[in-house]
Formats: sequence, structure tokens, C-alpha cells
Amino acid sequence: MSSSVTTTSSATGSFTPELFAAHLASVSHLPAWWLDRKREAWARFMALPLPKRTDESWRFATLTGLKLEGYALPPAVTVAELGHAPIGIAKAGKLVLANNRFVTQEAISAELVQRGVIFETLQNALLKHGDLVKSHLLAQPVKQGSEKFSALHTALLGDGAFVYLPKGVELAEPLAVFHYAAGAGAAIFPHTLIIAEQGAKATVVDFFRSADEGAHFACGRNDLYASHGAQLTYVAAQTWSRETLSFQSNATVARRDARVQSLNLHLGGRQSRHESHSQLQAPGAHSEMLALTVAHGSQEFDQRTLQIHQAPHTSSNLLYKNALLDSAKTIFSGLIVVDPDAQKTDAYQSNRNLMLSDDAEANSLPGLEIQANDVRCTHGATSSRIDAEQEFYLQARGVPKDDADELLTFGFFEEVLSKLDNAPLHDALVDLIKLKFKKPAGAS
Amino acid sequence: MSQLEIKDLHVSIGEKQIVKGLSLTVRSGEVHAIMGPNGTGKSTLAKAIAGHPSFRVTSGDVLLDGKSVLPMQPDERARAGLFLAFQYPSEIPGVSIANFLRAAVQARLGEGEELDATAYYKRLYSKMDMLQIDRKFTSRAINDGFSGGEKKRCEILQMAMLEPKFALMDETDSGLDIDALRIVADGINGLRSTNLGVIMITHYQRLLGYIVPDHVHVMWDGRIVKSGDKSLALELEAKGYDWVKNELVPA
Amino acid sequence: MSDVTETESLTAPIADIIDNPVSGIDQTAGNFSYKMDYEFDAGTGLSEKTVRYISTVKKEAPWILDFRLAALKQFYAKPMPTHWATKDLENINFDKIRYYLSSGQKPKRTWDEVPDDIKKTFERLGIPEHERKFLAGVEAQFDSEAAYSNIKDVVAKQGVIFVNSTEGLREHPEIFRKYFGKVIPTGDNKFSALNSAVFSGGSFIYVPKGVKVAMPLQAYFRINAENFGQFERTLIIADEGAEVVYMEGCTAPKFSTSTLHSAVVELVALKGAKIQYITVQNWANNVFNLVTKRGVAHEEAEIKWIDCNIGSRLTMKYPGVVLKGRKARGEVISIALANDGQHQDTGAKMIHAADETTSNIVAKSISVGQGRSTYRGVVHIPKHLKGCKNNTECDALLINPNSRTDTYPAITVRGDRNSVQHEASVSKVSEEQIFYMQQRGLTEGQAMSLSVNGFINDLARQFPMEYSVELKRLIDLEMEGSVG
Repeated sequence: MSSSVTTTSSATGSFTPELFAAHLASVSHLPAWWLDRKREAWARFMALPLPKRTDESWRFATLTGLKLEGYALPPAVTVAELGHAPIGIAKAGKLVLANNRFVTQEAISAELVQRGVIFETLQNALLKHGDLVKSHLLAQPVKQGSEKFSALHTALLGDGAFVYLPKGVELAEPLAVFHYAAGAGAAIFPHTLIIAEQGAKATVVDFFRSADEGAHFACGRNDLYASHGAQLTYVAAQTWSRETLSFQSNATVARRDARVQSLNLHLGGRQSRHESHSQLQAPGAHSEMLALTVAHGSQEFDQRTLQIHQAPHTSSNLLYKNALLDSAKTIFSGLIVVDPDAQKTDAYQSNRNLMLSDDAEANSLPGLEIQANDVRCTHGATSSRIDAEQEFYLQARGVPKDDADELLTFGFFEEVLSKLDNAPLHDALVDLIKLKFKKPAGAS
Repeated sequence: MSQLEIKDLHVSIGEKQIVKGLSLTVRSGEVHAIMGPNGTGKSTLAKAIAGHPSFRVTSGDVLLDGKSVLPMQPDERARAGLFLAFQYPSEIPGVSIANFLRAAVQARLGEGEELDATAYYKRLYSKMDMLQIDRKFTSRAINDGFSGGEKKRCEILQMAMLEPKFALMDETDSGLDIDALRIVADGINGLRSTNLGVIMITHYQRLLGYIVPDHVHVMWDGRIVKSGDKSLALELEAKGYDWVKNELVPA
Repeated sequence: MSDVTETESLTAPIADIIDNPVSGIDQTAGNFSYKMDYEFDAGTGLSEKTVRYISTVKKEAPWILDFRLAALKQFYAKPMPTHWATKDLENINFDKIRYYLSSGQKPKRTWDEVPDDIKKTFERLGIPEHERKFLAGVEAQFDSEAAYSNIKDVVAKQGVIFVNSTEGLREHPEIFRKYFGKVIPTGDNKFSALNSAVFSGGSFIYVPKGVKVAMPLQAYFRINAENFGQFERTLIIADEGAEVVYMEGCTAPKFSTSTLHSAVVELVALKGAKIQYITVQNWANNVFNLVTKRGVAHEEAEIKWIDCNIGSRLTMKYPGVVLKGRKARGEVISIALANDGQHQDTGAKMIHAADETTSNIVAKSISVGQGRSTYRGVVHIPKHLKGCKNNTECDALLINPNSRTDTYPAITVRGDRNSVQHEASVSKVSEEQIFYMQQRGLTEGQAMSLSVNGFINDLARQFPMEYSVELKRLIDLEMEGSVG
């Protein structure tokens, strides 16, 4: 497929070779192999076209919203300028990044360091743990449609978070990472890489935030590796400004008897695309994929998932819930693939859309590609309004209709949130949602 | 007059030995009860005799009228006269009781013989009435959405229609309330005859109050450790399975 | 409209539906001419010459020739839809196909040449002797004129018109032209364009207001008309309050020298009317069967597609209903069986275009051996509609380790006054179930048959009795081959 792409065409927008060169200069202290990868990625970004109407992996998405103009690599900001509000949960450690740079941290305890736990910026990890990072960093291919944006991410990735859990280490409290975009037109490339060795157990939370109401560009990635018997819980809470354009992709690799749970909360952005890919590579692997989206105004949330079963006796369970208000739009496209040898797979997928306004639009494309026969696979998608019986019941008890609807809507969310084993984290997420409901629709 | 001989049977699931040398002979007209605590291999024994693919006979034999059934497929054993009343009968969506039984009855007829539909339905309804199963059930998908009691009664209905030589009843009383138990017991008692041999596998004594066995065997750790008559069941009930462990099992 | 992809073509048919009520219809039934004696040979390959030839041979009015030629241009312009459909489509060699055959030219084979498994199927299904030769391609004619004329006379008394496409357009343009090519526009997809260029055969039916046709109308008797149904074009119009059931196909395997079948079926159910369209397809395993079927249901009307796909190498068929009037109802019931070397790629499209419309899709597929079954669905409820409901259930049963199934539904709902529910599952016949049945004396093969028939039972019951009996027997036959 040929495409005549010039440096000034909209297929690359603000992301010019000059911009890339400047970025590369700023990270010249990082290992040569990494810089080479960035150069390759940049070339790919330049060559690939923007998504087209006939691309099945972008079906229903509003392609005209994918404009790459008006962004720049932002300058550094201080903690004070950020106005960072702590989330108020007990944690084992915290890392704050803003505008692609490290800002501040609360380090993990000396005892954890001694046991081999690593919780560092990605740049430090590249310098100190090069081999470990190299074999895992961006090692999983992106194949759900965002190849161009993934290439951009690799090319312009500045700094991110790196978590390494050695064999048998169990963290009682979660690790928290904050990724900020600050200043009008700020383009950031958040990255979180988590490696859990045999039997390790931990929770990692990514917070994606805009420091102001400017139009930001976020193009991020999080990759989770769970080895034999490891248990990982990953939570991402996205609260970008209402004008932000966001791309995020996740790759989860679950090995023998590993259990991974990921929960994505999507609240912000003008248009957001999230791709999540779980690979169940060895017997006993299990991946639970959860997402909760609250769409207001004219927000568009596009979520594409892939559950791929590559070995026998693996399981996966997906529950994605969307609440749609005003004239918002959601797209859920989920595919379960079962390879011919993956007998005794149990795979489930459910997309539930709660329609709360007459102008909202929900699109569901649940999919199955099954090549092994001794399996149990189901998927389901429902789109409906608030249950009239339940609404009436509350009203009959004296609760006004709007309050009843809000109660029922939060009840709708609870099914996903209650799967989190951490009460303070659960509450923190509920607070974020409540905060969003308080803002008048369409507020900039 | 028929005979079912289980000779020093050893059965495994995967690598694990469950039945460890069980011998028993049952003749037509006899009712044997096998009792024992959970996990001792009772269900395994029943399923292995019926030919369930998950269980491997590692040594020993099962002879029906002198002929080994072990080389036979499950359906061949069934047509030879073995019936297993399942502890957890399968649900088969879309297949009605009437059609299912018809297929099973037809399978026993000779090549080219056709089932007489009128006679079949007459017989079916009379058995259903005897077992107090609503005639509407004939068109319901077998076991689909049935209560525990309904499933067990459906098993007995099948036994009544298929007229086996030997019936293995795997915990038929489990999950039944007193009324259901009585109906099931009456059904089985109604089928007792000199042409039928029964092995009842049960954990509790109460079924044996309704279906009085000729012989009672206690199973422990994969083999029979004591045999007696119906009074053994009462003794077991009074003393509990720990008695078996302490008194009966060789150290 | 700029966001609509080729697979959807959602708004095109809606925009083009004509609103004028049917009026001033001539209710006298036309004469049906059964035999067409043409000596000419159109040869192989598709060209403007072929199209003109077809039109001349049929003595068509100029507007029909124009329609065909415009369609031919569209066919050439459109690419193969392999960006979403199987690449197997690239194996169709358009140049080697005969696009028109007159009755004297149909290739035949001797009874000895008929494969044994086909003969066995005829035996199992209890196909009458005299039909077997016709179905197997040993005889070109099927002498059913008596049976057909009977039906025709009975329904003619009710004012029903039941003719083939050529006659329909020639004798009753005032009835059929209004809707011809409007439910499925020529440019809907590459294969509707092909059909629009070279169509012949098929049924054109008009049922007057309030008439409830007592017996199902059958295409079976008319298969001997041109081309073995290669490029059939069917248009059924049920006027207000009318009811009609139409059946095509049969469970018996049908021989065809043509490897490409591309039919178009358009249904129009006016206010309060009901149309039920039943298809059983069992083409030989060398056939590409690419069909476009769609109906428009007006206010309180109902269109129901009952579809069973057993044969062919590749079938692509997504019966659809445009729910154009308030309280219209659309339903697709689909059974697909895919064995070695087969790909059944079927589904449904429900486009809601009015308030309080409801649609229901139930699709069950069975993949045996290395067969592959695919479900593709579109459910579209656009903005500002209220009270619309859709329910979709698709279940796939995989019999052997290498059997394959895919499911690709696309559901779009707008607003908070509608509801959509979609559920799909994939499973195999459980070992416990098989053992249970074996313990009752059924062989493994019999147990499989029973389970599989149970799986489709509630759908099979919706077919007319003779079909569902044959269907069951066919499944028994397929299952016998599946257990090792």
C-alpha cells in the first residue's frame, strides 16, 4: 500500500522530523539499542497512513477527529505548578511524571528494595537494568488498528514507570503512578511496564490526568507480564481534560497459572481509543479484563479488545460497561480467539451499555474466532436504558427521578468496581466518577 | 437367571487408584446395597462398570453372564443389559423424553425391526403414571430445568422402559426430600423382579428403609471391607463410618 | 452517509424506498409460459454482448436492458469485498462461467456418474425415484407442470400473481417496476450488481389487499426453468393485510455445473402484511452461493426469513429487514451446517427506521470435520427512535477438534428508549451427554445425532414439516461421518 506522505501532510501533523530530532537529542544518554528502535519506529510512523473508512478495526470510529495538528513536546513543570492532588490511599510507593519527565516520588521501602523489587522511572531502568527492560519493553506487537500511533509512542517516549517484582514477593499495598499533561497542546507519551516473576503479587495503579483544561495529546502504553503463578492487578484511571485526544494500548501476557486483573476507568478526553490485548500463553492462565466508561457531552470512547487463548486450560473473562449521556458515543469491539490446540478454554465477554439520553450512541462488535471445539465461549452485548421497574420502585419510596437514576447508574458501575479487592482504591475510583457527574455537561 | 460378576476390580482416574480390588457377585432378583463414606470409590465403581471414558480399569474383570464387558463400548454394555441410574443425570436440550427413550428402545430392536409407536406410547404413559410423572413431561427436553426429584424419577422411568438385567443406582437418594424419596423407592420396588439384579450405591441408610436389600456391603478405600444383611446397614447407621475405619479396616 | 461502509449500505435502501401506496393494480393473473425454447448460446464469460443477448432472448422492454447494462458497469467497478470477506472469493473465475443457458443446452451426466454419497442421501431422505434423476442432473426437466398449474390456478382465483421474473416485468410492469431494484439497489454490493445484469428465472409474486394465501408457494417445481437457479431474481409484494409463505430449495443435494450462484430476493410487505420466506439450500460442494436478500416491512407488517444452509462450498447470505413503518417486525431464523471443505458465512441485518419496531435473530450453526461457520450481523437503531427492541441469539456447536466458527456482530443503538440484547455461545457436545446416551444403548453416532438435532430443535420446528423431517435425516447422515 503506497501513501504519499510529506512532512507537512495531516498524516503526521505536528509530529515533524524536526520535533523527533529534538526529542532524540534530549534522550541521547539512553542506550544505543533503544535509540535505534526509536528511529525505526519514527520511520514507521511517517510511512503508515491514518485510519481509513474501510479499515475494519476502525469501524464506527469518527475518523475526522483524529487530527494530529496543534501539539508540541511540552516543557518541564514543577510539582507546585502541577497542583498534584494525592489520591489518599495507602501505597507502597508513588511515582509522579509530568510532560514526559520525572517530577517526584515516594520511594518504596528499603526492605522491598533489598528483596529485589524495582519501582523506578523507565529511563533509570533503561540505564541500570538494560537487559531486563530490553527483553520486555514494547515487545508485544500492536495489531488491533493503532499501529501508527504505537509507532509514534515508541519514537517519542520520554520517560515512564518500570515495576519489577521478583520471585515470590507480595506487596500488601498498591504502587501508584501519576502521568500528567500540562500546558496547552502538550503531547505526552505515558508508559508503564510491569514484570511479575513467579508467584509475585501486587497491585499497580496508573492515574492519567490533565493539569489544566487545555487540549492535550496522550499516546500511551502499558504492558503487563505475569509469570508462573503471579497475581497482578492493574488499575488505570483516566481523567484527561475534555479536549484531549488520547490513544492507549495495553498488552497483557499471562503465563502458567498466572492471574491478571485489569480495570480501566475512562472518564476524560474528547476522543479516546483504548486497545487491550490479553494473551493466555500457558495452561492455568487467567485474565480478567474490566472497564468502566462514563461518557458525557460529545465524548467518544473507542475500546477494542482481544482475548487470545494459545494453550489448553486457560480462561478469560471480560466485562466492559459504558454509561452514555448527552450525545456521547461509545464503540466496543471485542474478539475472543481460540487457537486450534487451546482445548478446554473458558472465555467470556460481556459489553453492557446504559443509555441515559436520547442522543447517545453505543456500538458493539463482540466477536469470536474459535478453532478448538472443547471450549466454552460466550459473549453478550446489551444496550438499554435504566430499568423502569427499578426506577419506579425507588420513586415509590420517595426518591426523585434524577436521584433514582443516579443511584441506579452507580449501581450499574458497582458490578465492575466491586471486583477490586482494595476498598480504599474502590472508593477513590467512585469519587472520581462522582466528580465527573458534578461537572455540567460540555464544560471545557 | 443372570449373573453379574465383579472380579478383583482395580480402577484409576488418571494416575490415581480409586477402586483397589473389589469383588462382588450379583444374581437376578437380588438387591445389593454398597455403602460407604464420600470419596471411597462408590461412584467410580458404578461408572467404571458402565464404561465411562474417564475411568481406567487397570486390572480385574466384570463379567455379565460369563462374558467380559470390559472390551465393550458403553452402549454395547447397555444393550447387553446394564443400566446406570446417574447421580447427576445430563441435560440434553432440545431432545424430548419421548424421543430420547424412543431412540433408546429402538436401538435394542433388531436390524430392520420398527418400533410400534402406539404400543410404545401406551407403555410410556403407564410407566409415567406409575412414577407420578406428569404426561406433559414427554415433550420436555430431558432433564432440562428439572428439579432434583424430577431428574431422579426420570432415571427410574428410563429403567422401567429399558428393562435391564442389572441396574446400578448411583446415589439415587441424594438431594431428594422425603416425598420424592418415597416415589422413587416405590418405582424401584415396582420394578423388582426375578429378572432384575440391583446394586444400590448409597451414603445414607434411609433409602434402604424403603428398598430393603438382600445384601449390604461396606466399602472403604476402594474395596469391600464387610458384608452382611440389612441389619448391617442399621449397625452402620448407629455407629457411623468411623466404626468402619477403626474396626473393619486392616491396619 | 459518508461513514457507511460497503458491508453496511444501511441508508441506501432506506433512502430509495418509494413511499407511494400501491394503487390501481390490475388484478387479473398473467399467463405463465413454462417452456422457453431458445437455440442460441451465450457462451462463457461476461460482457455487454452477453447481457444484450439475454435481454433480446427474453424480448425485454428497453428499460430492463438499460437496467442490466447499468448494473454491468457497477459490477465491473466494484472490488471483491475481501477486506472483510473470505479470500476464497478470489477463486471465482468470472470468465469461465456461463451466464445464460437455454434449456436445450444444460449439461447432463449419467446416473452412474452421480457420486455414491449423493445417492445415499437421496435414499436416506426418501426422495421419490422420479425426482432423484432431476436433482442429480441426470435429467434436465422435471415434469411437475401438473402440480404447478394446480397451485397457480387456485391462487389465481384469489387474484394472486405468481410468475417468473421475465413474465412479471413484461406482463405486469405497473405492479412490479415500482419496487424492482428498490429494496436492493443494483449497487448494494458486487454480487447484487452481477445479478442485476444477468438475472433470469425466479418468482415474481403479487398478493392483493387482504388476501391470505392458504398454501405455501413453492419454487421447487420451477427449478427446471432457466439455469438451475443460477441468477434468480425474486420479488414478492404483499399488499396491505395480505399474507403469503414462500418456499425455495430442498434438503436433497442439488447438482449444478455452474460454480456461481448469485440470487437477489426482494420482499415488500405493505401495511399489516406478512411474508414468510423459507429457504433450504443444499447446493453441491463446488458452488459459490452468494445471495442478497432483503425485505421492507411497512407499518405493522411482518417479514420472517427462515433459512437453512447445508450445501455449497461457500455461502454468503445475510437476510435483512428494513423496518420502515411503525410497529413493523422482522425476524431471521437461521440454521447452518458446515462440513469439510465448506464455509457457511451467514447472518442477518436488521435496520430499524421507525418507532416501536422489533427484530429477532436466532442463528444456530454446526461445524463438522473441518467445516467453518461464520455469523455476521448488523443491528442498527438510529437516533430519535423510541420503543425499538432487538434480540439476537447465536449459538455455534463445534463437533470435531478442527471445526471452526466465527461470530462478528455489529450493533449500533442510539438513544435511551430502545433496547438491544445480543448473546452468542460456542460449545461442543459434552462428553457427559454422549456417555449418558450411550449408557442408554445408543451408539456414539446416534448419540451425536440426537444431541445435534436437539441443538437445532426449536428452530427446525419452524420449518414446514416435510423439511424438518428431512433436515433431521440429513443431520443424522452428516453426524455418522463425524464420529471416528
